[in-house]
Amino acid sequence: KKMASKIRVGLRPVKSIVVRFCPFESNVESTRKFLGCINHKKIQATNRNCEVTADVRHDGSEPVVDVVFADGERLIMKGANLTTIEMLTALGSRCNAKELKEEQKSKKKSP
Amino acid sequence: ATVPVLSAAPCPLPLPAGWLPALRLVRRGSKAVTRHWKAMHFQRQKLMAVTEYLAPRPAVPPRCLPPGKETRQEDNGYVQLLRRQVEEVFRDNRMIAVCQYNSMPGEDMVMMRHYLRKHNIEVKFVLNEIVRPVLSQSKYKNLLPLFVARNILLVSREAKAKEMLRVLKGVPQINLLGACIDDTILSRQGVENFAKLPSMEVAQGQAVGALALLPSQMSSLLQRGSAHLTALLDQHIRRLRDGETGSPAEPAPAQSSGAQ
Repeated sequence: KKMASKIRVGLRPVKSIVVRFCPFESNVESTRKFLGCINHKKIQATNRNCEVTADVRHDGSEPVVDVVFADGERLIMKGANLTTIEMLTALGSRCNAKELKEEQKSKKKSP
Repeated sequence: ATVPVLSAAPCPLPLPAGWLPALRLVRRGSKAVTRHWKAMHFQRQKLMAVTEYLAPRPAVPPRCLPPGKETRQEDNGYVQLLRRQVEEVFRDNRMIAVCQYNSMPGEDMVMMRHYLRKHNIEVKFVLNEIVRPVLSQSKYKNLLPLFVARNILLVSREAKAKEMLRVLKGVPQINLLGACIDDTILSRQGVENFAKLPSMEVAQGQAVGALALLPSQMSSLLQRGSAHLTALLDQHIRRLRDGETGSPAEPAPAQSSGAQ
């Protein structure tokens, strides 16, 4: 069993992350923990330009994590029924895939 | 399993005198202590089988019995102390704001504490396991769902919401979730609205002005009818005078009496 704080995500291909939730609801725990883990020193250190915003509302809407990548792609995670670890691993796998793609592109460009 | 075999080998050692049998029992090869697993003597096997351990079994399996009462662990003194502190906090302060704490670098934390201390706002770190039971027994039950993940409390005796919001805007890692001001639970939007409210004196002045507006209008309302009538009469007189001096007199305009 993994601890959520041990999962390392490289945020380089990410431009911004918006975490939206309503704290008076009961299904926000995993989203709040996700926000806490994302704000960890080591993960923030991988990309200082990534803006992490927390949007706190009170309209009974469900918790949503909105990630915008540097190449324009968007990832929307609805955290009502997801665990923190699932969200972190999903984001991490996509970030790794994008980084690999970028490395391959740069290798092709500079032979 | 090796079985003791009488090998009819001629005895290697000289027999002591008086010993008849020329045969001596020699087991097949292995000694008492071997590297492989050697079967026990049959009598020993029987003894081990008879003296095996049998676990005592209860007559009724424990899962069929009614479940016993869970004995509550005694809270140690530290937990009680923390609980007392939390209760004190909720009793003493007018404004209690609950914020989510994401890890912040130390210097930022110190600066934030400094700015808040200037406005008489204290920062308290709380543990959820302690706060939850305290809240569930007090009247602040609706604050319970807020206490998940890491939180801090900003408490103050005066309700200085504007300054608090200004300081928190400069710190992106702390997110205001909600507040309890003067026993009223407010969400983040509520806190912002509360901060935008004018101060007490201004609000009182506005209320007094609104209340005084109606009686001031009352006198003009009552006099409106007779004032209208006087105005119409004046106009009529002026027209008659103009009619006398200049053009021929016009029939007096039909007057609708202003007594409404």
